[in-house]
Amino acid sequence: MSLPDSTPPGLWRRFTAAYATFLTHLLAFSVAVIVVPVTLQMVSRYTNLIPAYIWTEEMARFLFIWMILIGAMIGVRESSHFEVDVWPTLSRRSEAAVRIAARLGILAMAIVFVVGGIEFTRFAWYRTSELADLPLWMIHIAWPAAGITWIVFLGEQFYDEVRILMGRSIS
Amino acid sequence: MSGALFSAGEAASILFGVFFVLLVLRVPVAFALGLACLPLFYLEPRLGTMMLAQETFNAYNSFILLAVPFFLLTANLMSVGGITDRLVALSRAIVGSWPGSLAQINIVLSVFFAGISGSSTADAASQSKIFIDAQTREGYDLSFSIAITAVSAVLAVIIPPSILMIVWGGLISTSIGALYLAGVVPGLLIAGAQMATVHIYAVKRGYPTYPRESFRQLLCSIWISIPALMTPVIIVGGILAGWFTATESACVAVLYSAVLSIVVYREMGTKELYRALVDTGRLASIALFCIGTASAFGWLLAYYRIPQELLANVATWGMGPIGVGFFIALVFLVVGCFLDAIPAIIIVGTVLQPLAKSVSMDPVHFAIVSIVSLAFGLVTPPYGLCLMISCAVAGVPLRFAIKDTIIMLVPMIVVLAALIVWPEIALFLPRLIAPDLLK
Repeated sequence: MSLPDSTPPGLWRRFTAAYATFLTHLLAFSVAVIVVPVTLQMVSRYTNLIPAYIWTEEMARFLFIWMILIGAMIGVRESSHFEVDVWPTLSRRSEAAVRIAARLGILAMAIVFVVGGIEFTRFAWYRTSELADLPLWMIHIAWPAAGITWIVFLGEQFYDEVRILMGRSIS
Repeated sequence: MSGALFSAGEAASILFGVFFVLLVLRVPVAFALGLACLPLFYLEPRLGTMMLAQETFNAYNSFILLAVPFFLLTANLMSVGGITDRLVALSRAIVGSWPGSLAQINIVLSVFFAGISGSSTADAASQSKIFIDAQTREGYDLSFSIAITAVSAVLAVIIPPSILMIVWGGLISTSIGALYLAGVVPGLLIAGAQMATVHIYAVKRGYPTYPRESFRQLLCSIWISIPALMTPVIIVGGILAGWFTATESACVAVLYSAVLSIVVYREMGTKELYRALVDTGRLASIALFCIGTASAFGWLLAYYRIPQELLANVATWGMGPIGVGFFIALVFLVVGCFLDAIPAIIIVGTVLQPLAKSVSMDPVHFAIVSIVSLAFGLVTPPYGLCLMISCAVAGVPLRFAIKDTIIMLVPMIVVLAALIVWPEIALFLPRLIAPDLLK
């Protein structure tokens, strides 16, 4: 993914940073919120405070799916997905070259998530969940969303690595 | 597989070939697993690239896996809420006067931690921050400090509660309550083996020893830690009594540690809570994302019946129960070098089950041998998650700490061998407390 030359990096960086912050808040929220349906499930079993909702288990699973994919989106920006390091310590430029190769792999996966994910979302367009009757596309759309987000974050990273490779940002 | 475009052998070489090439190119493991599936999903007429989304969806759409973020959150709440500090004080009062005090405390804290959280990665992440720096400042070697933190973290999935046992129980229908009880003694033996290793290191290298604390101090730290030490009793007891399911027990652990942090020890504010939530989300989702693509990978292995082909001959070797036990351990130790433990259970556990059954190995014994072997895989390179985390916290590459890690693994493997030869090590506790679960 290369950036259009006309885009000033400043604005681009501010956008991706703000987007990443937004996703981080969303991630914290989703972790906190999955505790709720599971707790409700137990409370309703042992007390009469609330009725035994049937949707708690399904709701927990769906929030959980979103949590995983939001976290996976942030993981690409922070380069925190686990990788196996078999290379000896490389020079900065070779390091940049290896990282570009690795990120091309992530880019390929991102494209598959967008293309396959759109098909996956359309496939669920008229379907609803078994217990809570939720429209399923609301869950499936997390896949293309993850793909698009990865592409956005990868753009920034490719830009940086290419600059290092060309020897530009070595001061 | 009739009607498939590729034979099992061809499909296996595509899957593993692409996977390893991408790993060498340093594509993250989760992505390498997913990309390795693509050629087959694309080329096989009955499949399609959408299957990658579908199979990852199926993996995540699981109530069982919810235990992963819950146990991580428990761990994070423990450290921000002051529970860990109390347990460190308690560990110090117990083993602080032994040679290599801080490293011994490191192990004992892992035992306590293992009783509260079921996640080794959470243990490695939080204890690396506490111990690696502190140990090197006291004169311990950095590689030793990294290695002991990582290997003691594996206790978290062996001593109950345990994410791996929940996944195992959910997938290979074995009683999770029985697995929990069966994990206690092997876990403590492994901790003992680690402490012996530290003792030898400490005496040989002259690592520092703290002055002995008074008996009064010991009683004090026990008293302060009682609420935290109640957690395993509540979790394991609650499951055995049938109060809640395994996943719910993880949620109970979250709620209990939140109450301890907010009401009892009162060290957690909103800022700390937010940090705990974000840290949990980051680590949980990265680990789980990998489980999704690994499941797609595993689904393809199953589609082409690759594991069955690989194991077709094994049944004819005529191994007895002990031979099969060692074979299973070996397979999981090797697989654990390359795969995370949960995908390994998904892919390999189900395949080995008939083999274990054929020599009438007890299902709980089979599970514990497998889980202990997989737990060791958490520190074996190239893909040893706990070792990776510890090295990342210390800011050194993985290979830096490999030698000390291997040395520490040797006595642990001896315990594993004993566990294989004498199933009672695992089975006597469940037989004593809940014999009906072993049926």
